[in-house]
Amino acid sequence: MRSMKKLNGWLLLGLAGMILTACNGEDEATEGTDEGDVVDVEIFQGKVEFRDHFIELSELYEEENPNVNIEFSAVGGGTDYFSALRSRFSSGDEPDVFSLAGPSELNDYQDNVLDLSNHAAVDEAIEGTLEGAIDEDGNVRGIPFQQEGYGLLYNKRIFNEAGIDADEILTYEDLEEAVETLDDQKDELGIDGVFALPGAEAWVMGDHLANTYLSPEFNGDMMEAYESDTVDFERADEMERMLRLQNDYSIEPVLNMDYSQQVEEYFSLERTAMIQQGDWVHPTLEQMDPDFANEHVGVLPLPVDGYEGHIPVDVPNYWAINDGVEDEVIEEAEAFFEWMYTDEEGIAAVQDKLDMIPAHEGFDVEEIDAPIQQEIYEYVLEDNTLGWIFTGYPQGFGNDFGAYMQEYLAGEREWDDVIEAGQNEWEETRQ
Amino acid sequence: MGNKSPVFWLFIAPVLVALLLVVGIPLFMGFFYTFTNWNGLGFDQFVGFEHYSRLLDDERFLSSLWFTIQFSVVSVVLLNIIGLGLALIVTQKLKSSNFLRTIFFMPNLIGGLILGFIWQFIFINVFGQIGQLMNIEGLQGWLSTPATGFWGLVILTVWQLAGYIMIIYIAYLQNVSGELIEASQIDGAGPVQRFKNVTFPLIAPAFTVSMFLTLSVSFKIYDQNLSLTDGGPFNSTEMVAMNIVYTAFDSNEMAYGQAKAVVFLIFVSIIAISQVYYNKKREVEM
Repeated sequence: MRSMKKLNGWLLLGLAGMILTACNGEDEATEGTDEGDVVDVEIFQGKVEFRDHFIELSELYEEENPNVNIEFSAVGGGTDYFSALRSRFSSGDEPDVFSLAGPSELNDYQDNVLDLSNHAAVDEAIEGTLEGAIDEDGNVRGIPFQQEGYGLLYNKRIFNEAGIDADEILTYEDLEEAVETLDDQKDELGIDGVFALPGAEAWVMGDHLANTYLSPEFNGDMMEAYESDTVDFERADEMERMLRLQNDYSIEPVLNMDYSQQVEEYFSLERTAMIQQGDWVHPTLEQMDPDFANEHVGVLPLPVDGYEGHIPVDVPNYWAINDGVEDEVIEEAEAFFEWMYTDEEGIAAVQDKLDMIPAHEGFDVEEIDAPIQQEIYEYVLEDNTLGWIFTGYPQGFGNDFGAYMQEYLAGEREWDDVIEAGQNEWEETRQ
Repeated sequence: MGNKSPVFWLFIAPVLVALLLVVGIPLFMGFFYTFTNWNGLGFDQFVGFEHYSRLLDDERFLSSLWFTIQFSVVSVVLLNIIGLGLALIVTQKLKSSNFLRTIFFMPNLIGGLILGFIWQFIFINVFGQIGQLMNIEGLQGWLSTPATGFWGLVILTVWQLAGYIMIIYIAYLQNVSGELIEASQIDGAGPVQRFKNVTFPLIAPAFTVSMFLTLSVSFKIYDQNLSLTDGGPFNSTEMVAMNIVYTAFDSNEMAYGQAKAVVFLIFVSIIAISQVYYNKKREVEM
């Protein structure tokens, strides 16, 4: 009996061994095919909403370049993407191409990304779109993906009915007057509130709203913010004024309203006249109601004294190429981006598939179908933009500052306290 | 253990290896990383106990710890009362008792994330609408204040886990021998006395199990927290697990987040071990 057990043991061991070797064998087999004629390029990025369009785009490219296979993988926006990227790098399963958001991410991956200073898509990049991708030695390490901009998105129909001409709103006083006019006619216009302020989303306030009033003190340069040891909040009063205005005339309750309520429930169902959001809401609006998204949405700049009529626009993401992969993969990745951003056919395909504000010359404003994107691109062409500096914030600052603003809205913190806490936090992180 | 045959070790090896790979080694590595400035990709210096000393001044971490403790105490008490209550209901001789068991257990089958979103809808929209219609101030603006956020989380957790705890109590309640109950009845004990002096001591082991379970679950809650309040408003409903994730992945301080996790682990272990020890002592030997 005892020997029987032993025998069983050895049999199991042998079986386990066989299974293990079988697995190994399989691995070798797949690796073998990789070295064939087709070059695989894996692109890893955080914009889930673009994934399907990207795949269509890469299929077009593959038709012309049968020796390349481009694979897009996407992981949900923001935080999730960067933690996924981090774990892929630390586990050794590095993607060939990936997207980075700004100087602090670039700093982390400095040793892993290719110098793209001489790439055609970098030459074609619109002035001012590269600043977040330049490393300490002045080399360009990323290709700007697109541009994004935000402001007050307004409902044109409601503005018309209230007799307000959006073109005449420039200063804060103009805006306040318009808001009061709208508020007086709330019932006739069928809206619940003039604004829908999503108080639950710290980034709407801490990143976007704060950026609008911090950008001038850093000259709109994210690198200046990235390198700065302190923040003065020169326009703290203006920031408070704008936050107050949005809060006082917002649909209640503010503090549990999230992004999807703001955009889908209130704005697209025309229960509010204005929301502070950016061009990225277009696909959502279009899904809810294409007619509304394409005909009835306009953009108003957030009023900043001395910068009236300026929209905060910048590059949220850069493409970075992993310099640790095989040369031919790098070559093909470079060729793909060259096609996407500089080739006539590539540009046409991009404009056809993706609704975005271009960051490269050679794109045609008339070809942008989405109205918010088109309108913001016009601000870009006229150079009426404010740079984004929140990509140069100390890590975690936007969220924390947003939380202080939430406390202010809840009446648990004075505004002066909000500013002071923000300053302390910035300085502590930058020590 | 020494006289176990090789087959014993062979059979236990897969579990041991798996446990070592996914628990043992990461735990050791994580502990090691807390003494470095690891950022998830690599580290270039040792910082000693800096992360641990920093923890003591980290207001946000301490307030999340305090919130978690409050939350755990309230939900452990409520969960056990309600779980036991439900178990008592369904062990009565009711026609619908099987149906009720199913219903009470069902919330437990839904994933925490989805539950969070469902309850978010209930708290914000349903409560809000009812509050507006009936003019009840208290039902409006749920999850927009720290207090409603707290109770929202408690309600969600209790609703989800009470059915599970009920099952544990049912198992023990059914083991209480009928003879003892009958004997106490003959001795003239009323229902309350019977429960207090006969049933309750006999199901004490169920308390050990349930309290251990509920305590560790409510301490470690993350997904419900994430989808219901996401720490809001102003991080007042942020629990320790969420604070750790936030530190590691949002503030990008991997090593510091890891240090928080180690402290959290020790904290939870101490509570759990001492609680099991204490409860074991009270159990009635049969």
